[in-house]
Amino acid sequence: MYLTRFRINPARRDARKLLTSPQAMHAAVLAGFPHPEDHTRSDARTLWRLDQSTDRQITLYIVSPGQPDLTHLVEQAGWPTIDTWLTRPYQPFLDTLQNGQQWAFRLTANPVRSGRRKDGDDTQRYGHLTADQQTRWLRERTERNGFIIADQPDGQPNLLLHQRQSLRFTRRRGERPVSLVTATYDGVLTIQDVDGFRAALTRGIGHARAYGCGLLTLAPTGRP
Amino acid sequence: MSVLLMRLAGPLQAWGTRSRFVHRHTEAAPTKSGVIGMLAAARGIRRTDPLTELLEVSFGVRIDQPGQVIRDFQVARTLDGRTSMPLTYRYYLADAVFLAAVSGGRALLDGLHDALTHPHFPIFLGRRSCPPAGVVSLGVHDGELTERLATWNWQASAWHQREHKSQRTVRLEILRDAHDGDPITETTPDEPVSYDPTHRQHGWRSVVREHTDVNNPLFRPITDHDPMDALEGWSCT
Repeated sequence: MYLTRFRINPARRDARKLLTSPQAMHAAVLAGFPHPEDHTRSDARTLWRLDQSTDRQITLYIVSPGQPDLTHLVEQAGWPTIDTWLTRPYQPFLDTLQNGQQWAFRLTANPVRSGRRKDGDDTQRYGHLTADQQTRWLRERTERNGFIIADQPDGQPNLLLHQRQSLRFTRRRGERPVSLVTATYDGVLTIQDVDGFRAALTRGIGHARAYGCGLLTLAPTGRP
Repeated sequence: MSVLLMRLAGPLQAWGTRSRFVHRHTEAAPTKSGVIGMLAAARGIRRTDPLTELLEVSFGVRIDQPGQVIRDFQVARTLDGRTSMPLTYRYYLADAVFLAAVSGGRALLDGLHDALTHPHFPIFLGRRSCPPAGVVSLGVHDGELTERLATWNWQASAWHQREHKSQRTVRLEILRDAHDGDPITETTPDEPVSYDPTHRQHGWRSVVREHTDVNNPLFRPITDHDPMDALEGWSCT
């Protein structure tokens, strides 16, 4: 497994296309792998996420079974002569994870529930729109993914929602647009079941994983 | 010296100094004549009564939530519907919150605090149609007016504070009476002399504009998250 960081130059025309269409970004990410088995295997798949930092930098993170070559992205939407991309092997890090460890995490997900419009209809996914529903959606999924959300000193869960948005984009000309609700979760988690947790890191959480959702990443908490 | 602090908040406020004829303007912040008039009303002083000790207080205001200027085109007719009153354009501040302060003797301010809690005449925010929302008086405190306005906690509505949640502190503007030697920013016809409806009088008031930084209680930092930090030391061959 590999973790890759790529900085996007938003001044470039192709960057704007990628930033506005998860469909185009998904295709561009998959085009970074020469062999199909590099981006999808039975136990892992390619996940990606767009992050916007406080200083307005836009970063693309990719977790993939094989090592990507993002030359085409650098040429279309990057800084070819200064900053290309950084790939690091993920497996050695995954092997060091242990139960009980605390990590700061970030996850952009597509919180949905299944329902029927009326009896007899096929089931359909409905996006969770309120912050409460979106928080509950994540808390209902933490245990099966091998972690729990840590508490703050005041007893509240250490979790913050931001960049909650509804996306609409077209896949192909003439087709009906895809609509997608996404929310970005920032917080601190405690690992409970390390095997299930590793699977969550490499397979993703929730739906719309092709569209920049479901990638859970970890960073040091900054506390001893 | 003592300071009486007031939270001036309401759906609509209107603080005029220069209205003429059918255009009834509002300033961006409460005026001294407006607030002193409100205190006089709370005290039960009639418009024709002398203001005496109220004229000696010093006044300052902090803009905690600027609000928005809105215009009301007002049409009025007499009760029998026959005669049209002059059409007027009335300007209001919507959704604004201010921290106002008057400083003076302790006994006077204690009396004004009691009057604001049990007003003799109804109190309003600059125009009769603008009642205050919530408790107006925040009590009488020791200290200087400037220092109290600069340090008192932020009075803005929760939704306004949340809109600034990425800021640890917010910069607020203070407009206060000038003392001797202060660099005067502006002079406005806003020193109340008499509220007598037949002969209303205002003197010139020298105003100093300052800024203060107060803490945002709803500050929630969004930290940058770099997953590469955890992978420091490993590299691809």
